[in-house]
Amino acid sequence: MYAYDKYDHAIVSARVAEFRDQVERRLSGALSEEEFRPLRLMNGLYLQLHAYMLRVAIPYGTLNSVQMKRLAHIARRYDKGYAHFTTRQNVQYNWPKLVEAPDILQELAEVEMHAIQTSGNCIRNTTTDQFAGATNEELEDPRPYAELIRQWSSFHPEFAFLPRKFKIAITAADKDRAAIRWHDIGLVLKQDAASNLGFEVVVGGGMGRTPVIGKTIRDFLPKDDLLSYLEAILRVYNAAGRRDNKYKARIKILVEETGVDIFTKQVEDEWTRTRNDGIDFPAEEEARIRAHFTPPPLEVLPAWSDLETISAKDPKFSSWLRNNTDSHKVSGHRIVTISLKPHGGIPGDATADQMDLVAELADSYSQSEIRVSHEQNLILPHVAERDLPALYKILNEAGLGTPNAGLLTDIIACPGLDYCALANARSIPITQAITNRFNDIQRLEDIGELKIKISGCINSCGHHHAGHIGILGVDRKGEELFQIMLGGSGDADASKGILLGRGFPADQIVGAIETVVGVYMDAREEGELFLHAVRRLGTQPFKEALYGNA
Amino acid sequence: MAKKIKGPQIILANRLDDGRAVFFTPKQNWSYQASDAWLAIDEAAQQQAMEAAMKSDADNTVIGIEFIGASDSENGPVPTHAKHIIQNTGPTVRLDLGYQAEGAGA
Repeated sequence: MYAYDKYDHAIVSARVAEFRDQVERRLSGALSEEEFRPLRLMNGLYLQLHAYMLRVAIPYGTLNSVQMKRLAHIARRYDKGYAHFTTRQNVQYNWPKLVEAPDILQELAEVEMHAIQTSGNCIRNTTTDQFAGATNEELEDPRPYAELIRQWSSFHPEFAFLPRKFKIAITAADKDRAAIRWHDIGLVLKQDAASNLGFEVVVGGGMGRTPVIGKTIRDFLPKDDLLSYLEAILRVYNAAGRRDNKYKARIKILVEETGVDIFTKQVEDEWTRTRNDGIDFPAEEEARIRAHFTPPPLEVLPAWSDLETISAKDPKFSSWLRNNTDSHKVSGHRIVTISLKPHGGIPGDATADQMDLVAELADSYSQSEIRVSHEQNLILPHVAERDLPALYKILNEAGLGTPNAGLLTDIIACPGLDYCALANARSIPITQAITNRFNDIQRLEDIGELKIKISGCINSCGHHHAGHIGILGVDRKGEELFQIMLGGSGDADASKGILLGRGFPADQIVGAIETVVGVYMDAREEGELFLHAVRRLGTQPFKEALYGNA
Repeated sequence: MAKKIKGPQIILANRLDDGRAVFFTPKQNWSYQASDAWLAIDEAAQQQAMEAAMKSDADNTVIGIEFIGASDSENGPVPTHAKHIIQNTGPTVRLDLGYQAEGAGA
């Protein structure tokens, strides 16, 4: 993975010193809150219901074991013994003290991490496929491009005060695990007819109160032109994006209001004018960065014959193997998803002890590498098949072995009203109620792939628009109600969920989900997944089951 | 445009140093218990309470001073909105955290 050079170290250290001075001036009263607020947000420090919240960037979701141990140490030393992995491959601490925030940033800088650009109207952490560099489904590892984008966008002076925040995601596989069509810019690595590498460029996706699926503005952009083209898009957006209304300030609104054809022409014109200005990376810089992503020295092994035998004797291990491991590009290895979704637990939360354990397991079994998925799980990307039984045993004993990846209880949920100052309703208790009800793995496997995503407000941090079942918490005269939508998807065939009707009180939402699942189970065809059944049936049978024919 | 204030109110803020939620009291200090808060019933009382709270802010100890709806109870004021009830106690999904875990709040 990428390692800081002397410039990276100098920049991040200088930022820590600068923020330490700003905090001291705030505490002394030399800076007012009005003056200080944008400065703390530039360093990822929010104020939530109970305390400050620090959001730490995990570039494209890649961590090494040393970094994970440091995150655990920070949770223990400066917070309350846990951290929360987010839907943008970041990590959040819910209880840091302002006075200690500079010390936390110093601790992060020592392991080549920071919280820069995790807030504010700037280009945020570029996200990607959590299986990048390990999956046999990708054209090549997309992370070197994500790192190039990170370096280009970090402290980019022209894009420090955009109309609104800006999120980029990239994938190199047909199966989109990064929800790229729901981002301001989504990039799909492709090959043209002559086997040259390039990108499909998708613009104007986003969730929030106006959900929009991104539109392709270029079918194929040669890879060497990536940064100049991104710069052209950002320039058009920066100049023309609305600044009069924050709810209409995202690029998705600009694309919708301008029209995709005119917007595309504006980008192409800007690119024609600026593409030779030296924005694109020179080949030697690409090579320097790419060298950091050299695949680990995994031994090519034959498929481990004992795996099937062991699996046949242990149904729990068998479920975990089936649901929580994926094929690897190197024979004899698997990609392991560590579920942070224990039934009845809080999605994305991990204790400091669990984080330390994952770091140790990464050292023992996965080339010291860890990934964070936007679905709020952790990944060990390079595990030998022969190590899987021992790894599962350790994970299971630590509460990290729930075999539910991709199943109904692998729920994405925002922190909701239990933590978030913006939320209208609580997401986590709804998640817990659902996962407590659907806690039988055999039943979950029978239901099959079904992604539930829950947000506690219209800002959609829980990605409810992209849920096969989406749940949105709303406040109606002081009562928390939960609306259900069906048919959303974050995958390559992205789609927006369709609202079924009025919201349900908290104590009725589990029953409503049971009803929806029941309709699917009764109506599905052989092997038909939930999402496909909803697309075939439409929402009417589900509405009738939930609300009757009235 | 200023938010229209309806009904009895108490004043909520966050402590500057650690962000914890605190409530303005009739003793003109800040308490971590809503039950200690100054319940301002009418407009005149609300204005008086807010002026006092803003003066107290001169020592740079709190941020985000705002009115929140509250009702009276035999144990003192209680916030009316779920968000502020949770601020006064802690996350409902982690009873080991927040004021509720420290024997305060509610």
